[in-house]
Amino acid sequence: MQRTLRSNTRFDLIVLSTCVVLALAARALPNNLREPVATGMRRTFLAPLVMLQESAERGRQSLLSADAKQQFLDSLSLNAMKASSLEEENDRLRKLIGLGSRLRTGFVSAEALHGRGVRDETTVILSAGSRVGVSRYSPVIAPEGLVGIVDQVDPTMSHAMLWTHPDFRVSAMSPDGTAFGIAQAHLTGATGGYLIELRGVPFRATLKPGQLIVSSGWGGVWPRGIPIGTVLQEIKTSEGWARTYLLRPAVNPADVYQVMILRRDRLGKGMDGVWESVAQADAAAQRIVVSGDSAAKAAALAEAAARRAVLDSMARANGAPPLGASTDSANAAAVARAAAARAAERRRAAAEGRAPDTTVRRADTARRDTVRRDSVPARTDTIPNRPGGGGTR
Amino acid sequence: MNVGGAIRAIITFLIFVVLHYTLRPLLGWRAPMDFLILALLLAAVRVRPATAAIIGFLLGLISDSLAPDALGAGAIAMTVVGFGASYLKAVFFADNLVLNAFFFFLGKWVFDILYFVGEQRVKGVELLQQLLLWSPLSAAVTAAVGVLLLFLMRPLLEPTPA
Repeated sequence: MQRTLRSNTRFDLIVLSTCVVLALAARALPNNLREPVATGMRRTFLAPLVMLQESAERGRQSLLSADAKQQFLDSLSLNAMKASSLEEENDRLRKLIGLGSRLRTGFVSAEALHGRGVRDETTVILSAGSRVGVSRYSPVIAPEGLVGIVDQVDPTMSHAMLWTHPDFRVSAMSPDGTAFGIAQAHLTGATGGYLIELRGVPFRATLKPGQLIVSSGWGGVWPRGIPIGTVLQEIKTSEGWARTYLLRPAVNPADVYQVMILRRDRLGKGMDGVWESVAQADAAAQRIVVSGDSAAKAAALAEAAARRAVLDSMARANGAPPLGASTDSANAAAVARAAAARAAERRRAAAEGRAPDTTVRRADTARRDTVRRDSVPARTDTIPNRPGGGGTR
Repeated sequence: MNVGGAIRAIITFLIFVVLHYTLRPLLGWRAPMDFLILALLLAAVRVRPATAAIIGFLLGLISDSLAPDALGAGAIAMTVVGFGASYLKAVFFADNLVLNAFFFFLGKWVFDILYFVGEQRVKGVELLQQLLLWSPLSAAVTAAVGVLLLFLMRPLLEPTPA
């Protein structure tokens, strides 16, 4: 028993020594031999373990970089949100600066502080008061057009009634002055408070959808030419003597945060050139439509004239009087017979090779089976300032 | 040890080896646990010293193959640790978690000492810092994890009643 144990211990020691010697031999391998041995092990029976370790390392890298990536994404999202709002604000401020440069003088810029109560959709607090020249009934405008009117003034701030207020009214008209009316908030229906009604338009005056409506300047509060909205459609009311139109407002008060308050001294100078571009564009569109109608009419007249000229020429060639001449049927028959005789004479002369009887001579030698261009009277171009062209063609 | 016990021990051994190459790099701690040492110690107490030395040698070669500069250092350290653990199993492998923890701690620390001395890459103060600070920390973590795993895998590791 003791002998067996001693033998086992000796065996264990021999194995231990062998393993240690092998390990030392591995440790003593030169560098150029270590790498092939290690690589061979990694590529063969250790490959699954190496693969596991690589996956774990990648997982750890992903975990470590997840926070950084999330922070990066959060920053990007935040910047994107900021950029969007900054772009909108920039756009609004640019428009406001543009409006200011067109107004030149007599205005006060202010911030519009919206409340969030039920009645606050119709009023707004402005960050400018009487110290900078704001007075009661000063018009409040935005780059897009009419916003409201100041109804209370403090030294440093003021209170404005927006066009959505039930008591708000402004005298309005079409830019060409053909239709006048009173604009007020459209308070009925699901869209109440967000559209404008143009009431009291004379029955003879019709407005097309899309037409711009501006302030008329009547009443002395609002200067002439401030955009109010564009015509959406006519609505039926109980008033049989006047028309009422629904307008899409030029300004949505809920989106207005910077406004201009016009001072009293500015009202007398008018609004010429301030919204001219808008009004001009509208008027130009109207002119184009009218010009298009005129051009079509002129073309039709010219075509009719050309057709008449051809028929006249043919009639003259046959010896008949021009169309439109007043002849009775007997004379017409005699003339037709004479013309037929002359035509037969000409055919006979042509067959015999001599000149035809030239009792009736044509004034010109042009072929009559086509329309002569010079027979069409010159048309006058009714579109003024056509690019690249003159008044006539 | 009967066949069932041997199979369970082999399964446990493989689980520890796999954990060494998955959980350890995933955690990436500065003082990492060493599942290979745990596997070696758990195997060593179940086999005779010669077999434990061979297992240690092979495990050492496996670990060294991923660090070719230290090829052989891990093999020497694990061979000695495996042989020693198997030789001293009567002393340490009692049914006491604290003793097991100490057994794991000592095995890992001895391994680190042999490994870093044999590797000869770290020297001087840095070697002392490694052996007296980071290695004990790593050994403590290894011991804690080993005890936890022993507790969790007790049904797998306990010998089947006859």
